[in-house]
Amino acid sequence: MSEILRLENINYSYIDGGYEREILKNLSYTFESGKFYTILGPSGSGKTTLLSIIAGLDTPKSGELYFEGENVNKIGLHQYRRNKIAIVFQQYNLIGYLTALENVELAMAETDNPLPKDQKAVAYNLLEKFGIVKTKADRLVGQLSGGEQQRVAIARSLASNVNLIFADEPTGNLDTATEKEIIGVFKELAHDYNKTVIVVTHSDAVSQMSDQRILLNDGVLRDL
Amino acid sequence: MNFLNRAIKNVTRRWSKSVLLLITFLLIGNFVIIGLGISQAATDAKTLTRQKMRAVVDYTVDYDAINKYVNELTDEDEINDFYKNYPSVKIEDVQKILQDPRVKTANAATFLTFYEAPNSTVDFVHLNNSVENDSMGGGQSCYISPDGEEICTEYVNPVFGAKANYFPDMIEFADGEFQIVDGSFYTQEDIDEANNVVLVSEAFAELNGLRVGDTFTISTSSPSELNGYLSQFGVTEDDITMEVEVCGIYRHNKAITPDSENFDYTYPYENYDNVFLMPITYYFKAQLPLSQKQFDYYAELYPEDEYYSDPANRPTLENLQNQNLGQVTILLNDPLEVDAFVEEYNSNVPQFLMLDANNEEFERLSRPLDTLSLYANFIVWLVVINAVVIITLVTALTLKTREYEIGVLLSVGASKLKIVAQFFVELAIVAILGFTLSIVTGSMIANKVGQSVLSYQIESSGVNEENEDDYWVSTPSVWDTDYTTDISLDDFVEGYNVTISPLIIAEIYIVGLGIVLVSILIPSLMIMRFNPKRILMNQN
Repeated sequence: MSEILRLENINYSYIDGGYEREILKNLSYTFESGKFYTILGPSGSGKTTLLSIIAGLDTPKSGELYFEGENVNKIGLHQYRRNKIAIVFQQYNLIGYLTALENVELAMAETDNPLPKDQKAVAYNLLEKFGIVKTKADRLVGQLSGGEQQRVAIARSLASNVNLIFADEPTGNLDTATEKEIIGVFKELAHDYNKTVIVVTHSDAVSQMSDQRILLNDGVLRDL
Repeated sequence: MNFLNRAIKNVTRRWSKSVLLLITFLLIGNFVIIGLGISQAATDAKTLTRQKMRAVVDYTVDYDAINKYVNELTDEDEINDFYKNYPSVKIEDVQKILQDPRVKTANAATFLTFYEAPNSTVDFVHLNNSVENDSMGGGQSCYISPDGEEICTEYVNPVFGAKANYFPDMIEFADGEFQIVDGSFYTQEDIDEANNVVLVSEAFAELNGLRVGDTFTISTSSPSELNGYLSQFGVTEDDITMEVEVCGIYRHNKAITPDSENFDYTYPYENYDNVFLMPITYYFKAQLPLSQKQFDYYAELYPEDEYYSDPANRPTLENLQNQNLGQVTILLNDPLEVDAFVEEYNSNVPQFLMLDANNEEFERLSRPLDTLSLYANFIVWLVVINAVVIITLVTALTLKTREYEIGVLLSVGASKLKIVAQFFVELAIVAILGFTLSIVTGSMIANKVGQSVLSYQIESSGVNEENEDDYWVSTPSVWDTDYTTDISLDDFVEGYNVTISPLIIAEIYIVGLGIVLVSILIPSLMIMRFNPKRILMNQN
């Protein structure tokens, strides 16, 4: 399997009450394509900070991040977010005044990646693949259940035709059955579509279903 | 799903927020439309009234400036020198002004009176009023001559009038009050050569069977004057008799009828039917023998007199023609060019001369409209500034509730500029809708509001109070050299009509988009500072 994302000597700290608090310490790790990763760690261990750095939402104090061998700083954070990755959040982060279909189309409109001509049909297909039929796809997302909204969020993450998908506690608000279903989708994405899925989670059950469990503790990553 | 689509969907699907914003823009739009409408109506009313007025400018001696200057002089010699070279309007300067393409013509006309010549073949056009039937004579005046002889002269009213001009055209012809019905106006050559040509009225020509090319005689003095005080100068009948040739026949619109004001007190020479139009130079030429004989008489009588002892002071045609002119009236093609014309020439005219647009009455009567326009513009600015503040606050507050959406858009790679553009388009859509509705509602109420505020403004400004001079100004007279058009408040009120013109509609959209543009600036700065990580991590 080839390398998709490499972290080299990532450090992150912030000033808290006059003292520097180190969150990530000289952290290095390599993620491979076509694998489903879960990052575990106790509260306050820096999971979300790590996710925000590797998702291009924040920058480390020092260290480098490489996407498919190219420095992310060289790609540019905006371009990186736009064309290289997708993020799925615990709160789904869909836009309320748009329908499920339009939320998926939104990602398509923003990316520079090559997409099929009939984007609407592709969006419908994507949604249908994740169990959102056409009648539901045309509804405002507020009219969908939590599980359905998370599926829409996953469909949106795939719509921009990226190979690296991050998810921050994607099943945090879902019941166990839906959680299993969503994780199954992530596995499918990794194994059937050669996407790399990196999920930050508290859930041991979720992590058990991943290809690679990684523990973030004391600012460093360690394979479990 | 580009930013335009997102903006449209946001506006249409969050309709309650959009409706509130729409109402805000509707109210703003109504105020702006009413303000712009009133301001435009005031400007239009002034323009229309100005267009009704004759485009005349007086090129005149600035007596106020002279008085001020002389009052500041302390040296008696300086004062005397100044009066010896008293400022006057020079004909050659006026002729230069006449070359300006904005100028139609000019009047430097003197009104003269004449008597029937002895053995005259022409009669004046009769009005058959009181002065003709009862008292054409006016009593007797007597004085003791230097020879000790009592000389009495019976005063007799002249019967003919003449407007004698320095230029080969007259304002009255240029703006249609007079029309040539036969022949032509006298030429510059006639003026230069002091030819004895006149234009007579159609009525006078008909009464006396005159045609172009015919001649007739008139007299500069009455028989009584000739036999009285003129006899001592040696003035003969030939000296006071002018033989004139008809070069043209004109029609005028100043007919005097029994219904005319002061009909019974109008002397024949005041009736335009009896008024000739002639080159001023010919009159000077005709007057020359009388003037010279008078000078010679006094020069002989008072040989020691400083003035009469100097032969240079003996009247000649040249020095009679170079008399000081106090005022020349210039007619322009376009009334709307008057102010600019006056301003331009006033910076170049010699000291103690000025161009006067005679705008005092216009400015006095247009004051309520000016005030109205000022208030209307003030309201427009006030509303626009308030609108910017309100819309900025609303948008900034809305941003707080849309942080999450902004975070999502940033996380999917939307640029901050596109997000700002989306918010701008959202506001612009609602603004355009609101202002479009306001055009409909504003049109319905602007005229009513406009009329009410104008009435109030006229009432409070006091300009509708009767002007004591109005009566006299409005009475036309052969003596009148005031060519300005009489205007009244009604002219302004008639021209004042608050309508929503395409220009105002364009302005309202420009103002609306301007409000949106300025209102989005501060929220845009806030968006530029947004950190997607902070927004999204806080959400989660």
